[in-house]
Amino acid sequence: MAITVIKGGLETTVQDYPGRKGAFGMGFPPSGPIDHWSFRLANVLVGNAPGAAALECAFIGPTLRFERDAVIALTGADMKATLDGDPVPLWQSIGARAGQTLALASAVTGARTYIAFAGGIDVPLFLDSRATFVIGACGGLDGVALKEGQTIPLGSADNAAPGRRLKEGTRPPAPAGGIWEIEVVAGPNDDWIDAAGQRRFLESDWKLSPKSNRVGFRLEGPEWTFTEKATNKAPENGEHPSNVIDHGYPIGAINLCGQTPIILMVDTLTLGGFINPYTVPTCAWWKLGQSRPNETYRFRQVSVAEAQAERRRIAALCTAASLAPEGPP
Amino acid sequence: MIYDEPRVLPGGDTFVLVQFGDDARIDLNFMALGLTAALREDRTKGVIDTNPSYNSVVVEYDPDLIGADDLAQELRRLIEGLGSVEDLELESRLAYLPVMYRDPWTKACVEDYAQRIAPRDGDPEFVARINGLEDAAQLARVHSGTEHWVVAVCSTPGLPLMVALDPRCAITSPKYNPPRTWTTLGAIGVGGLSTSIYTTPGPGGYNLIGRTPVPLWDTQARLPAYRDRVVLLDAADRVKFVPVELEEFEYIERRVADGTYAFNITGYQRFSVRAYKDWVASLDPSERF
Repeated sequence: MAITVIKGGLETTVQDYPGRKGAFGMGFPPSGPIDHWSFRLANVLVGNAPGAAALECAFIGPTLRFERDAVIALTGADMKATLDGDPVPLWQSIGARAGQTLALASAVTGARTYIAFAGGIDVPLFLDSRATFVIGACGGLDGVALKEGQTIPLGSADNAAPGRRLKEGTRPPAPAGGIWEIEVVAGPNDDWIDAAGQRRFLESDWKLSPKSNRVGFRLEGPEWTFTEKATNKAPENGEHPSNVIDHGYPIGAINLCGQTPIILMVDTLTLGGFINPYTVPTCAWWKLGQSRPNETYRFRQVSVAEAQAERRRIAALCTAASLAPEGPP
Repeated sequence: MIYDEPRVLPGGDTFVLVQFGDDARIDLNFMALGLTAALREDRTKGVIDTNPSYNSVVVEYDPDLIGADDLAQELRRLIEGLGSVEDLELESRLAYLPVMYRDPWTKACVEDYAQRIAPRDGDPEFVARINGLEDAAQLARVHSGTEHWVVAVCSTPGLPLMVALDPRCAITSPKYNPPRTWTTLGAIGVGGLSTSIYTTPGPGGYNLIGRTPVPLWDTQARLPAYRDRVVLLDAADRVKFVPVELEEFEYIERRVADGTYAFNITGYQRFSVRAYKDWVASLDPSERF
């Protein structure tokens, strides 16, 4: 016995980073945390490898009872967590004793809270990953989001201590003015969108639809207009300008389904028959993970090299080097 | 069109899409699967995964291990090494899958759609009619008369996208518009030039012409075929549908339920594109079964 689930929350899943890699050929997306910046920092705070299995809690968090002492850390969204009624600070490691109850409520800022446990969550590997893929009923804890009565097994830890904090400037910043500026890389199918359509995409405000989840983030905004490539094509591509012969989907692709753009996320279908004019690079996924329905996105085009540099910058922050020196704050 | 130079298009910071052409001719898939096999064999540094389809391959890479330009160069080197499409020989198993054509379950699914979403006649009859076939019985003969080439395993776990290898058995049909909201598990669907098998009970757009009682993936390893693999089929495998009636369908269902069903899969063949093309050239394409 390690931790008992009293309440599962809205959708709390075991994830690891970078998730289930190398399984596209079997039809499995990677899964894994959406805000992998906050996720990795939670692990760093409890002395785990940055990618160790931990919990992703969406919008409404779980209630968990500790059956043994543990060191934990919460990062990401503020869900007004309490441990036996006392407020639990975010972004630092804390000790929980056997018998204590950790309760998370609804997110007041952000959307996803990450809970890491020293030693990691010790569920079996499936295709080399512990990440839950609910649609595939696999990974994580019995392939499902946490539910009442389940037991979360923990690994053993030898490197954990409460009271660890992060240095200034190492964690994801809040969006400026409540508007999310999201990096995008053009392609693979940007040449299906005409110049006016590309301009409209980059210059408009986009609203995140409530119909968004780990499969995809649906956006509401202006019309798309197309080039000849979309309108004059081999018939097997399909009728609508956004139709194309089924092709593999990059994760993060902005998939244009008719006139509705959907950012394909970590549990996406791995292939389909719609074009992907732009792709949100991995360095911006944390923004998706923390944005709430009806919030505004603005897209900023960056080069592949710029996106890769930002990815490296974030990865460098997700290490023990980001821990503040021990001692009183 | 087959591109003279395959296109390597960015998909964010960790993916590229390699496109061999812009239509669905099968040569493009042979090239895509040839590149997939070459990447597996080459163990190209930094390449994490591949996701092939009709005329393209998505390649996932680790930008800390290989830069975008170097990756594109490696991909072009491997594609050049493939030679012409006729030179390709691909590992290809042949799986015999039981199917009940015009089964009661997909019929009920289509009727549910007709009632709730949009009027619609029976799918097998519709597909037979628009393909100039006598009736749904001939559709079953034609559909089971060919090996189906697995273009990709994708979209949802274990789901194969397939095209008929025998041009005398090619059928084509428009997809549902609007799509179904649910689909019978194990349903055999046809849409465009393709056949698929629904491996999750989710939405779908293919016309439903039959159902298989066997699972195409199994995360619990209940059946012997799944002791050392999670999904039954790989891209470049072939599927031959074996028509069964209700009694046999239910017998197989019981064998699946008690964990004793043995799949019939042959694994000693390789698929030669040149031999295949020679064979196709020898056929009378106006013939129908």
